Amino acid sequence: MIKSSNFVRCHTCEAVNYEYHGKGIFCRRCHSRIHQSRNISYHKTWAFLITAIILYIPANLYPILITKKFGVQTESTILGGIIHLWEVGSYPIAIIILVASVFVPLLKFIFITYLLISTKYNVKSSRIDKHKLFYITEAIGPWSMIDVFVVIILSVLIHFSGVQVFPGTGATSFALMVFFTMLSALSFDTKLIKKES
Amino acid sequence: MLTDKELDNFIICKKCDTLHRKIPLHQGGKALCSKCNTLIYHRDDKMIEKTLALVITTIISLMVAFNFTIISININGLEQSLSLLSLFSVLLEHQQYVVGVMFLFLIVLFPLMMLSSIFFALFFITIKRYGYTVRRLLILLSHLKHWNMLDIFFISLLVAMVKLFDYAKIELGIAFIAFILTLGLELTITKNINFDELWRKYENTYGDNYDKE
Repeated sequence: MIKSSNFVRCHTCEAVNYEYHGKGIFCRRCHSRIHQSRNISYHKTWAFLITAIILYIPANLYPILITKKFGVQTESTILGGIIHLWEVGSYPIAIIILVASVFVPLLKFIFITYLLISTKYNVKSSRIDKHKLFYITEAIGPWSMIDVFVVIILSVLIHFSGVQVFPGTGATSFALMVFFTMLSALSFDTKLIKKES
Repeated sequence: MLTDKELDNFIICKKCDTLHRKIPLHQGGKALCSKCNTLIYHRDDKMIEKTLALVITTIISLMVAFNFTIISININGLEQSLSLLSLFSVLLEHQQYVVGVMFLFLIVLFPLMMLSSIFFALFFITIKRYGYTVRRLLILLSHLKHWNMLDIFFISLLVAMVKLFDYAKIELGIAFIAFILTLGLELTITKNINFDELWRKYENTYGDNYDKE
């Protein structure tokens, strides 16, 4: 009898493997580890997620962009920059930055937290939906880097003796935040979803 | 218990984790997931040859994109140009080491590593040698694909250009065109390449002799 829950997909080579419950499995084809022990993956994901959430605070409080105009220094945070863009009238850019650097990280935090909690406490919802949610979380992750890259590009282009733009502390913590959310999503184990069914 | 050969007849959708039995396709055919309509696999008999050609072109255009001016701006006679080299010197000057290192890896090293490992893996499969290296490269590739941010960098470039549009005259450099070319080619490669197929080809080509290392 072939049952879907008896099989598992290798993340590395996409081969279909047998599932052995409660054990670490190595792929039959590429020999890479498919599952760690459930607990390790669960705690690793939490650890990375919490690190990312902590880093999200300085990323928003500290300036991401510092402008030096003839000795006068102005600083702008992510939200400040978006509000400024909106006031100036570049709505499309404001929306892109808002989605990429505010909504995407927040959505990732919420999605991963939901996945972790719901798999731990067996919240009743469709298994397929959870897999889709995880897939989306993985896919949208890197797009929050847009803001950091924009700041870097601007800091190179606006680099005159009178006027200078450069990245602030916010940019560093934001980049690290994205890095840790991606690690968190990667260390989440889809077996956690599977187990309840 | 099914044997490995029989297990190869199954495939699991990467999006919704549904198990499917593979069906034979005609050349150019595509198989979609029955639950969520995602493309699961497709058949392309000339996949390796096509991808090899595309990868070589992509590496050349990536080299152009990395070495020449991407855009230059002109504000009331003051000129400034952006290339990857000037990017690092400015980041170092502002002492943004963390961002600089991340940038180096995400934009320069990972895309280069990805393209060259695709090239070498396919090349070695074609000449049927160095099985162990092919395996390492294929594993490396599956990890690298999450960390390539060339496309995001390009979108950021467009955003930055729109931001500067009011103050400055913007001139597109040769690397800008190379960037567009690279991204287009890279997209075609990632759409074309079929890792499941590559792994099966690897197993058929090298057998079990190399596996046990």
